Amino acid sequence: MKRLVAVAVVALGLTAGLAACGGGDKSGSGGESTTSAEATEEATVSADDDNPAADPADADDGNPAAGSYDCSDASQIQGEITVWVDETRITALQPAADLFCAEQGVKVNLIQKVFDDLRKDFASQVAAGSGPDITVGANDWLGEFKTNGLVAPIDLSGVADQLSPAALGAFSSEGQAYGVPYGTENIALVRNNALISETKATTFDELIEEGKAVGQKYSVIIPMGDAGDAYHMYPIQSSFGAEVFETDAEGDYTDTLAMGGEAGHKFAEYLAKLGQEGVVKSTITGDILGQAFTAGEVPYVITGPWNTSTWVASGMDISVLPIPSAGGEPAAPFMGVQGFYLSAKAANAFDAETFLVDYLTRADVQLELYKLGGRMPANLEALADPSITDDPVAKGFAEAAGDAQVQPSIPAMNQVWSPWGLTEVAIADGKVTDPAAAWDEMITNIETAIAENAG
Amino acid sequence: MSELPLKPRTQKSRKAATMAVAGGWGPGFIVKLILMALIDAIGIFGVIQAWRAGSTTILVVAIILLLVVNYVYFARRAIPGKYLVPGMVFLLIFQVYVMLYTAYVSITNYGDQHMGSKDAAITAIQSQHTAVAPDKDPYAIVVLQKGTDYYLATVVDGEAEYGTSDQPLEALDGATITDGKITAVDGYDIVKPDRDNWDTLQTLAVPLSDDASQGFLMTERNGTQAKVYLPTVRYDKAADTFTDTETGLVYHDGGKGQFVDDAGKKMPGSVGWRAVIGFANYKTIFADTKMMVPLLKVLVWTICFAFLSVATTFFLGLILALVFNSPRIKGQKIYRTLMILPYAFPGFMTALLWKAMLNRDYGVINKWIFFGAEIDWLGNPWLARLSIILVNLWLGYPYMFLVCTGSLQSIPSEMMESARVDGAPPLRQFRSITLPLLFIAVAPLLISSFAFNFNNFNLIFMLTGGGPLPGTGSDTKIPGATDILISEVYRLAGVDLGTPDYGLATALSILIFVLVGAIAAFSFRQTRKLEEMA
Amino acid sequence: MSAIDTSNVPLTNRAKAHRVKWWREVGWRHCVGVVAVLYSIFPLVFAVNMALSPGKTGVPDASKLFQQVTGDQFVTLFTNNRPETQVHFLNWLANTVIVGIFTAIGTVLMGGAAAYAFSRFRYKGRRTTLTALLIIQMFPQMLAFVAVFLLLKSLGEVIPILGQDSLVALICVYLGGALGVNTFLMYGFFNTVPISLDEAAKIDGATHAQIFWGIILRLVAPVLAVVGLLSFISSFSEYIIAKLVLTTPTKWTVAVGLYSLVANDRYAAWGLFAAGALIAAIPVLALFLFLQRYIVSGLTAGAVKG
Repeated sequence: MKRLVAVAVVALGLTAGLAACGGGDKSGSGGESTTSAEATEEATVSADDDNPAADPADADDGNPAAGSYDCSDASQIQGEITVWVDETRITALQPAADLFCAEQGVKVNLIQKVFDDLRKDFASQVAAGSGPDITVGANDWLGEFKTNGLVAPIDLSGVADQLSPAALGAFSSEGQAYGVPYGTENIALVRNNALISETKATTFDELIEEGKAVGQKYSVIIPMGDAGDAYHMYPIQSSFGAEVFETDAEGDYTDTLAMGGEAGHKFAEYLAKLGQEGVVKSTITGDILGQAFTAGEVPYVITGPWNTSTWVASGMDISVLPIPSAGGEPAAPFMGVQGFYLSAKAANAFDAETFLVDYLTRADVQLELYKLGGRMPANLEALADPSITDDPVAKGFAEAAGDAQVQPSIPAMNQVWSPWGLTEVAIADGKVTDPAAAWDEMITNIETAIAENAG
Repeated sequence: MSELPLKPRTQKSRKAATMAVAGGWGPGFIVKLILMALIDAIGIFGVIQAWRAGSTTILVVAIILLLVVNYVYFARRAIPGKYLVPGMVFLLIFQVYVMLYTAYVSITNYGDQHMGSKDAAITAIQSQHTAVAPDKDPYAIVVLQKGTDYYLATVVDGEAEYGTSDQPLEALDGATITDGKITAVDGYDIVKPDRDNWDTLQTLAVPLSDDASQGFLMTERNGTQAKVYLPTVRYDKAADTFTDTETGLVYHDGGKGQFVDDAGKKMPGSVGWRAVIGFANYKTIFADTKMMVPLLKVLVWTICFAFLSVATTFFLGLILALVFNSPRIKGQKIYRTLMILPYAFPGFMTALLWKAMLNRDYGVINKWIFFGAEIDWLGNPWLARLSIILVNLWLGYPYMFLVCTGSLQSIPSEMMESARVDGAPPLRQFRSITLPLLFIAVAPLLISSFAFNFNNFNLIFMLTGGGPLPGTGSDTKIPGATDILISEVYRLAGVDLGTPDYGLATALSILIFVLVGAIAAFSFRQTRKLEEMA
Repeated sequence: MSAIDTSNVPLTNRAKAHRVKWWREVGWRHCVGVVAVLYSIFPLVFAVNMALSPGKTGVPDASKLFQQVTGDQFVTLFTNNRPETQVHFLNWLANTVIVGIFTAIGTVLMGGAAAYAFSRFRYKGRRTTLTALLIIQMFPQMLAFVAVFLLLKSLGEVIPILGQDSLVALICVYLGGALGVNTFLMYGFFNTVPISLDEAAKIDGATHAQIFWGIILRLVAPVLAVVGLLSFISSFSEYIIAKLVLTTPTKWTVAVGLYSLVANDRYAAWGLFAAGALIAAIPVLALFLFLQRYIVSGLTAGAVKG
């Protein structure tokens, strides 16, 4: 028994010692529970240690004014923010991040995420109280983010006149901005000039005939995939007058679907025809589109700037054209807007907002992003830059945008995408005998889902 | 392997053993002591951290675990405990607790629009319903600090005024005004917003007057200007209600994670939170035919898939094992090594590989085996099901081949010998002796293979993603043709497509668990009977 | 298969008969073997083709087998030289191997210890714990990904290393499932070791710990190898939990990383995926071949007599 007690004493002594060491070492990071998980432990500790010393200097400077910091020296770093970006934009953002650090002394942790993960990870992480300060994202995520209270309003009144009103509007809801737009994108008709150098077609049917005359494997490709791709199909649909939602007097989308009825039926039947022509099939994914186009197996494809920039870079001779109408009305694609959201639970909202408002809206930053992603800058000065106005591809997309409609960001849109895409797959693949009836069924299902969600 | 390592046979080790029993400080004991000290150190560190973070649950659990572990390893009794505790600790935290928590989530509405806490929802509603007053000019302000309290101060008609969120603007004494700007205030510091005080300053909304509809001031990031904001809703903390400042409508907590009006209709622009909603999710599964019928189909397919997977792999594996169960074949080892490659390859990779191979337009299967025919292997429901079974056959038959080979070799040769002496024809021998013996040997493995395939998420997810999805206008909650129960849970959770509904998904998880648990308990009882019969 | 007496048959006939007999008894087995081997490896040939094809995105056209051979995919894998796809393959591989090794060791030790307790001690509640374990292990952790996420969230606030984005946390979650299936497999095998061995050692004065570490564990080595191998492989292939826990691309495992390469139709890099898959399969393959001889005995022995 005595032995046991002795053992216990020894053990406890040891543990206490170890615990003291362990506790002392890690107390900085452990106590700081609000720091996002992505922050490296080292940086967190140093930021904590240096803050008190830096405070007075800060107050003297007057805040947003630019200072001069050496970011390779950890002791000069005043704070840090975390930004989620996908692999296609991380390089373009690095200069802005470096500039921000040099001027504000705030380190920007650019965390690379896969684009497909951004939305759901942001939603789940922020809801659980963590996540980044800022994430890159598309404007149509706003509905979900707002109804779940995941994003904070941003005061853009100071820089609003520098940005395209349409892009700004796409990131606003009820008069409040929830994100900083940086680029707009839309799809267009892209031609492989090596196969055909002139397009006379004014309707989509003529286009298909022209494409067939080239005699390659495909005539025209619109990408689809298993889950459908209503986005790429939308110019065709809108040319029948079947717009997705009704708009109110101010041009804002309402919850009422507008793509049913006669116009919708006509589109559905046309879609079935496109399926038979081999223009759209669920097996023709964006992936296969790219392959077929680079292999010279198709003269025409409908796609966006994310593909054309690589094609141009690889030396292909391409032209970007407006999409011919299929149903008589103009073929208006969606205009998607890419931008940056501020998390409602940002650990460092102050610096994050400074970065968003004072840096990411700048012309040079947005031009850098344009160069890598090919999206038209939202900054008006950047948009007027010769590198854009003199670029035939960029001009082509701008022309194709024509009557482009901003992709809806209202919450109801969440209920629309998947049934919309799946129904289009069923029609295009010929899995349904009566396209119009399938379309009606889809409309009913979506309307029910929207009603359920609103109640 | 032949020399049995019966250590205590030697004189020395026997002595050591005796000492250990007598309670000496053998090397084993020292190792144990060091390990325990380490574990205790980590445990105590955890306790301290939990205390600092103010997490009561983790604190209590950490203390209990610490006590139990120390008791088990320092007490003479509880010898089985010494062997069970390490695994049990992990099991309890990462499996049992997680199961219970899943059961809890299944009675909440956790999912889209109900993601966070109620407090966060209220804050979000407030910030989303605050608009800049369009016709009012911003105020020039300064931010004052006294102790830990912050104030906004401004100059109104040449006089300094200040206020907080609870106290509208009122006269401020002791302020020095230069060029119409406050430059110093006795007893207060003028501060700038920064990354540390910004969270507090963002909640500092100073009403212009007692009449809240006049709006309130909130500082900008530069700390020198404040816009006038007008709230479109007002939160009443005591009553836990929101009031629309324009219409006067009152919204209360409807008990389902939303603010609703008296008619139960959701407040416009409301943000929801996670709330306990009882068995509503289970009700949805059972009572909603839109949900129940597809789920029953999924169940049938899951069972078919698991059964066919086991049957086909076992059959092919057995045939090959019989073919190769002959000592006269040269190069057995090479054959075996090459044949088991599919099993040794990580499963998720091969499933993805097959996806590429089955691609309709470019896949090798269509190009080579079907001479360029455009067979839509993964796009047609029945072909997709067939593809899954065939791919699983490829993945799984090497395992069955190994198992059957092992079992065949372990059948005592005297039994085969005696059958041969009796003059039984080979097929009879096989049917009446080899097969039953083999079956008894592998039955438990067949059952666990069944259980594995029942939940073979990787294959389904990587190969077809559960698709092809049913045609028209269905929503994303409806399963695809190849969805098995577990992939349907993933679909319901809305991680990949559509809106997340974790409540519903976890409710289905619990039902699956009950089902599989029952099947497992039943089948293990059956195998035991089988063994007894043998 | 009784032997045919061939001594009286003329020589040429005898040779012929001999060949016929060889075909009937052995030769056809080789045919079956070759077919089976072809069946097993042709997808891997396709994988090699993909890995050596030059395309950046898309499924390489299978009709152009080995027409253009290039090591580009492998170069990209290790140098991460494409701006549009960031690949941290070495990180992924290292993470996976670390997670796999620790999970395997932990599983073997904890499962083995538990199986020893169940097999050798008779105590109150033994039956109940065994049954409970049997039932609990039927709950796949993957089904509880929501709860795992929330658990790690709150653990991470207290002890960061047990939170999200940490390999340690991932290992812990995997070890939570360690007692499950493996304990039963081991329990069966432990029961095949005669208890008389323990008793003899006990008479010699060995403690339970000495019996466990010194005798039992060595005798059950095959099943330890199998369990270690199985848990290594399963942690290698596990996707959902790993995806959930590890959020930074450099911390991913191979399964998460490689899947990300082909998850998006727009830029699915199948060639890169195949190259990565082939390399990542090497450690598993090596381990598998190395431990092969244990597998059959480990899997079946416990089952036969358990």
